[in-house]
Amino acid sequence: MPCCTARRVRARSPSVSPDVTAAIEGIALSKSFGGVKALRSASFAADGGEVHALVGENGAGKSTLIKLLSGLYPPDAGEIRIDGAPVAFARPQDALANGIGTVFQELTLLPYMTVAENVMLGSEPRSGPFIERRKLLDAAHRLFDQAGISGIEPLELVGNLPLAQQQIVEIVKAVSRRPRIIFMDEPTSALAEHSVVWLFGLIKRLRADGVCIVFTSHRWNEIKGIADRITVLRNGEWVATSPATELSENDAVERMTGQRLDVLFPKPVPLGSAAAPMLVVDGLTATGLPAVSFEARVGEVLGIGGLAGQGQRELFSTLFGVTARTGGSVRVDGRETRITSPHDAIKAGLALIPEDRKTEGLLLPLSVRQNLALAVLKRVSRGGFVQRTAEDKLISSMVTSLAIKTPSPSQRVGALSGGNQQKVLIGRWLLTDARVLLLYDITRGVDVGTKRDIYLLIRRLSEEGRTILFYSTDTEEIAHLCHRVLIMREGRIVSELRDPLTPEAIVAAAIRVPVAF
Amino acid sequence: MNRSPAATRLRYFAAQNVPLLLSLGLFVAMVVLYIILFALKQSRLPGAFELLTTVNNTLSVGLAAIGQTFVVLTGGIDLSVGGIVDVTNSVAARFMQDSPVSIVFVSIGALVVGAIAGLVNGALVVYGRLQPIIVTLATLAIWEGIALLVLPQQGGSIPPVLTAVLAGTLPFPTWLPNSLIIAGLLVIGWQALRNTRFMTAVYAIGNDERAARANGISVARAKIGAYALAGTCAGAAGLYFAAANTSGDATSGTPFTLTSIAAVVLGGVSLFGGRGSAVGSLAGAFILTLLLNVLFFAGVNTQLQEFFQGLFLILAVVGSTLVRRSLQRAR
Amino acid sequence: MNLTALRDERGTLFAFAAAIALIIAGGIYRPSFVQPENLATLLLLASFIGIAAAGQTFVVLIGGIDLSVPWVLNAMAILLTTMSLGQNARAWWAVPLALGAGLGAGALNGLGIVLFDIPPVVMTLAMNGIMEGLVLGFTGGFTCAACNSYAPPAVVWVFTAKAIPGVANGQLVWGAIAVVVGVVLSMTLLGRRIYALGNNALATYLSGIDTRAVTVIVYALSGFFAAIAGFGLAAFGQQATLGMGDPFLFDSIAAVVIGGASILGGKGNYWGSVAGAIFLIVLRSVLQEYNIGEAGRSIASGVVILVALLLYGRQRTEF
Repeated sequence: MPCCTARRVRARSPSVSPDVTAAIEGIALSKSFGGVKALRSASFAADGGEVHALVGENGAGKSTLIKLLSGLYPPDAGEIRIDGAPVAFARPQDALANGIGTVFQELTLLPYMTVAENVMLGSEPRSGPFIERRKLLDAAHRLFDQAGISGIEPLELVGNLPLAQQQIVEIVKAVSRRPRIIFMDEPTSALAEHSVVWLFGLIKRLRADGVCIVFTSHRWNEIKGIADRITVLRNGEWVATSPATELSENDAVERMTGQRLDVLFPKPVPLGSAAAPMLVVDGLTATGLPAVSFEARVGEVLGIGGLAGQGQRELFSTLFGVTARTGGSVRVDGRETRITSPHDAIKAGLALIPEDRKTEGLLLPLSVRQNLALAVLKRVSRGGFVQRTAEDKLISSMVTSLAIKTPSPSQRVGALSGGNQQKVLIGRWLLTDARVLLLYDITRGVDVGTKRDIYLLIRRLSEEGRTILFYSTDTEEIAHLCHRVLIMREGRIVSELRDPLTPEAIVAAAIRVPVAF
Repeated sequence: MNRSPAATRLRYFAAQNVPLLLSLGLFVAMVVLYIILFALKQSRLPGAFELLTTVNNTLSVGLAAIGQTFVVLTGGIDLSVGGIVDVTNSVAARFMQDSPVSIVFVSIGALVVGAIAGLVNGALVVYGRLQPIIVTLATLAIWEGIALLVLPQQGGSIPPVLTAVLAGTLPFPTWLPNSLIIAGLLVIGWQALRNTRFMTAVYAIGNDERAARANGISVARAKIGAYALAGTCAGAAGLYFAAANTSGDATSGTPFTLTSIAAVVLGGVSLFGGRGSAVGSLAGAFILTLLLNVLFFAGVNTQLQEFFQGLFLILAVVGSTLVRRSLQRAR
Repeated sequence: MNLTALRDERGTLFAFAAAIALIIAGGIYRPSFVQPENLATLLLLASFIGIAAAGQTFVVLIGGIDLSVPWVLNAMAILLTTMSLGQNARAWWAVPLALGAGLGAGALNGLGIVLFDIPPVVMTLAMNGIMEGLVLGFTGGFTCAACNSYAPPAVVWVFTAKAIPGVANGQLVWGAIAVVVGVVLSMTLLGRRIYALGNNALATYLSGIDTRAVTVIVYALSGFFAAIAGFGLAAFGQQATLGMGDPFLFDSIAAVVIGGASILGGKGNYWGSVAGAIFLIVLRSVLQEYNIGEAGRSIASGVVILVALLLYGRQRTEF
């Protein structure tokens, strides 16, 4: 069956009813970042007293839309209206002055300042021009009391808090400014179950007060649990808006991805029962990692799940030698390894493809060639000189193999689309012929077409016998691509899930055990 | 209801201000060391004269260091401090006459000149979107040139009454240097300023400029303000330097750039921004002067002064890094 | 050469073009300005800045800065003259000694930066003071018996003699350095690593490159080139003097920036610094022709950097 166009729910114009002016409305908003179109003429509207969920895959434009409506960036085209009146936000202050509050996905907390200072930022109690520190502290205490949060010390530096508490501080900060419209971008990604319950109680209270709440999430049961309406974005465009009761998960996924589920995700390659262990981790300890033990076999795609900030990052960075190992052992292909740096890890046959390609992966002003060759420079050099012909051969074969769309290998990587940039990063690591690939949320900010390419690539690598450790914030991906999933909590592996893998089971396992605050 | 008792607040303050406390500790250690060595060499304790000269020698660098602090807190650096000192030094020495009107007017003028210089720096960094280190290197050359135009030869003069006020002592008690009072006022002023929205913005920018902006902080205003304050403090340093030396020299301010940076570093202020206190920078300035005194009374060859200053700076930073790393491991 | 690469070379092109324009301006005021002899002299003066700027270029490319150039230069020049005592017989070990010491001082800078997280500004600043102190201390304030020594004749020949008529050897030395540095930056493994490190230190580290080693090597090179610049100055001035390195802090950085390199690292090349060095000398010389004093020349130097930055040094707003 061809995709959604035939079966599309008749798209209603984004408004509850014609004579209710939306609290906030974005009309035909477009935004590009350095040549990458993040939003294409997308429209959106939400009302006061409504909980409106914004859904879409990673890279669909949800965060960009929120950033535009929060005044963080000006749109390239399009208009924003509040209560029907057009507004133009030159800076975040303008949005704040218009009663808009935001909980950003990338937290806007100041790490070397205290929780109290962060939460009261902009509304510090003053006498004349001077901030009154004691009153600030008391006010912060009161804010947390009112919000129903105990256990976060206002005098603590925000940077010293675990991610889950930081997320709560960011939420309390946004809510304390009494906004009329509040955006929450993935507010629950790091929260344990009882914190999610707390947040939803908060959201319901806000809704009863007539506040307009717009939030994004990857978890369908959360969305169903609280949203009044759902808007689907795909590839920077508005796809549909409908009441939550009328949209099933299958419909939503189809609109989000434009494809049916089983077509989008290739089935994992069946593992031979005799597949040998490739990666054996025994009692691995490091900062943030009390002790981790597991095995991954040849050709296996092993998922790493759990809430955000539960040690997954530490596991990957310790395996790759970025964080110092304080105990335990790691064996690759039967050989004991001493990995103290990425250099050692690469020699041992590991590769790490990080989440943030802009800061951790790519050298944006440099060419495709220089980026692809970065990890194998020694191999294409002789006597200290880079051999261009050898390099060119490797580069062009990888460009073809991954179907990287670039006018030439000398093209600046920064000018490529997000998906192609990600392919360049992946290509760099494939050139190292690593036996074990550590993939950390690699489909973030990537369009559907490239995602599909990446899923097929994972399948191919698995077929070739490579071992893959796969972490993603998108539980659909983990469920459909992996053979097994290990759930992490507080730096330990707390459960293992096998076939049949479903997103619900993975989420349930992640939030099951409440943390004592 | 007292939710955070003083003991808790103190505990958190100590944990969050380790570099400042280390710096103050170093300051105390240097004072003690100086007193001991002086006593050993001179067979008496340092007295009013030593106090006067020590504080007087420190205050110019101290003012420059306080100014540098504002810029460093935003994550930048100001290499033009020395040039601004040169200009205001020259302006004061050349234009100040004996009348009270002239003294007041030219003094304020020197501060205004510093402020303008700072504003130019800030505008170039913010609106020009240029990197602070290279912008201020360029403006350093410009201010140095202007200073030479104002005062081509060493000379000019500062009215003795200003010298007495800034570099002398109170009539009663006679051992109390005015410069020490000024230093005390600077500390009080900083503590007051620290609690303003402006300084909160400055710290926020140094923490994470993107996050500060998202929180509605006017990054442009706060940054330019920080550079303007740095210029004003450098201007005050130039004025003080002229007064303390009773005459002007258009090139004598150049070392102030690097000593102000050294003082800021010794004061525990992070060059990455967002953390630190001008009180530490002032302590850092004192540490530098006391170091020279210590070296002198320890009988160290005066020609090796620069060597020991450089070595001292490195050791202080290394020590602070090692302390920070061991605290992180303990956490 | 595609258009983006050309745009990146804007700095170099502007600097060369501006230098040529200035030479013409100088010629208008005094026709003898454009005589080959005068131009050759200018090129020679530029070579000292250029050689010091070679080291600074490496350091700036990885996003650092070297504030120790003045006194490393000075110290190595004095080390050369006082150790060789103006004799060729001693030169064969005095020269490597001084070059090695320059390399070593630079390496110490790099080690301090990578091992203890000392910010480059602080480390090189401290090293500058250390070098100054060592020089003053060991020469008794430059009053020692050996302090009046000349540079060894071999070194003097390398820089001042004219193997090719009309061209001082020092310019050939500079030319050779330019070629070597250019090759290293554009064709070698080290060059690739330097650009990668300057562009994104974290990504480079995660790709398995030893960023610490690259940093130490780069700072060591800076000390090395500072030493060579010191030799050249000592050769031309016959002797070494105190404070001979002081102008080179500003000048080496200015040359690099005017040449279009980004002070944050990752962008630029040595030909830009060459253009920048030539431009600076021509500017000062032309201003002198027009009877503008030191004050005015200082102001002009600062303004020129600002203009260069505003033309091609602005940061694109990062999203």
